[in-house]
Amino acid sequence: MKKLTPPLAILATLLFWSCIGDDFINDFVQPEIRLSAAPDSLTIDSSFQYSARYFNNVGIESDVDLEWSSSDPAVASIDQTGMVTAHALGTVDISARFDDGMNPAVASVSLHTAENPIVIVEEEPDTLVGRIETTTFYVLEGDFTLYEDLDAGTIVLSIADDYRASSALPGLYVYLTNNPNTIVNAYEIGEVDVFQGAHEYVIPDVAIDAYSHILYFCKPFTVKVGDGEIVEP
Amino acid sequence: MLKRILFAAILSGLAISLSAQGPWAQPQGKGFFKLSEWWTRFDEHFTDQGRRDPNLTTGVYNTTLYAEYGLTDRLTTIVNFPFFSRNTMNNLISEVNGEVLVDGEAINGPGDAEIAAKYTLTQRGAKVPFALSLTLGLPLGEDAGGRLGNLQLGDGEFNQLLQAHIGSSFKLGNTNAYWAALAGVNNRTQGFSDEFRWGLEGGINFAQDKLWAILRIRAVHSFFNGETAVGNTSTSLFANNMEFISPGIELNYYITPTLGVSAGAAGAVYGQLIAGSPGYSVGVFLDVK
Repeated sequence: MKKLTPPLAILATLLFWSCIGDDFINDFVQPEIRLSAAPDSLTIDSSFQYSARYFNNVGIESDVDLEWSSSDPAVASIDQTGMVTAHALGTVDISARFDDGMNPAVASVSLHTAENPIVIVEEEPDTLVGRIETTTFYVLEGDFTLYEDLDAGTIVLSIADDYRASSALPGLYVYLTNNPNTIVNAYEIGEVDVFQGAHEYVIPDVAIDAYSHILYFCKPFTVKVGDGEIVEP
Repeated sequence: MLKRILFAAILSGLAISLSAQGPWAQPQGKGFFKLSEWWTRFDEHFTDQGRRDPNLTTGVYNTTLYAEYGLTDRLTTIVNFPFFSRNTMNNLISEVNGEVLVDGEAINGPGDAEIAAKYTLTQRGAKVPFALSLTLGLPLGEDAGGRLGNLQLGDGEFNQLLQAHIGSSFKLGNTNAYWAALAGVNNRTQGFSDEFRWGLEGGINFAQDKLWAILRIRAVHSFFNGETAVGNTSTSLFANNMEFISPGIELNYYITPTLGVSAGAAGAVYGQLIAGSPGYSVGVFLDVK
């Protein structure tokens, strides 16, 4: 068998080395429980079914068995399906909890019990805010507001006048996501084509509280450029 | 369609050590021929602010045939053809659960080629020869491969590079040495900014004329007269208006009077919108004198 000549050996080594490798990203986010809309008052001897969504340590919604509890079961008790029943006058904290073994998550809400059959439904937040900030050396910053357009049945991401972004970076996209580290399971709003000043994105078929962050992501680099947490005003 | 790429930086910049920089012409009927492998692999790049930012690890590998041939004692033709080029991007994997978030991919094929003519204006044997060259960049390589169109084997544009070359050879004690310099303008198409390029090079001979050690600096400065990412729908890899200053080293060792091997490396000490890691090359050459 003939030996490989040095140039061919080098070439063969380089071709082997040019295989696709693996990059790793720390995409951990703190698990989160989001309680759905609920009354802040419940008539004695009546019941209400709570519901909640659990987002795991990479921001993906998962089906888990939540542990429901009441801070005072004598005032209002709750079973493990989330059904709460008022028994006496008072105020309790209703909590949903889940522990994946390393990262416990809990969400709580206050509930008043009342003698009168008055139920005040807690309103959904219809306007949220935040600030976009770069996580790279590319310029990206600006305030934003996320609000519901009830007539159109959409939500609107309104970027403020102080917004500016580098136009040097191609393939820059904006997303809604529950994990600001990746675009996996994120909602792609669209490609960025405004790099300075106020502008809006109309987003259909998305609930205003469905995502926790706005994410700017460069597709060609497969790298995050910046983000902004969506919070209440 | 505006093309925005890394490859312009790599092929015309950091890999330029493959091409002749000096003003010297090949004698009529003589030539220099080289088969080489050039590669870079980078997980960060220079931003438009000249700072380093991370990116998914990307590899570019070119197997290239380079040839200089003297049509006359003053006119040299040059071909630089990466006949096999490969561009790879790594898988992206979650540290949390080990899932593949983005599948890696690769494309293969011929890369962009260059053909050039260099005419030496001074007489053979002149103390400080001077030459002009015209290089045409031929967009033979795929410029938008892969799922997102961000894998590239070429820049998709036809460019014309006009350069002036000057240099001189001299003795350093009993050792042969030379210096050379070039400057030129690269006219680019398809929305790319035009460029001013310059280079300096010095070489010294060791081991009884068998080993040449060459140090060089190459630089590209953009005229910023092309398009920007505004309104661009391309998702190609790098933006237009790349710039760099790139020092490099090359060693050429003559095994026989005509056959030799070479190795080189070049990186950027300043850059905008180019790869943030050095490029390397190894090759074998025939110097037909």
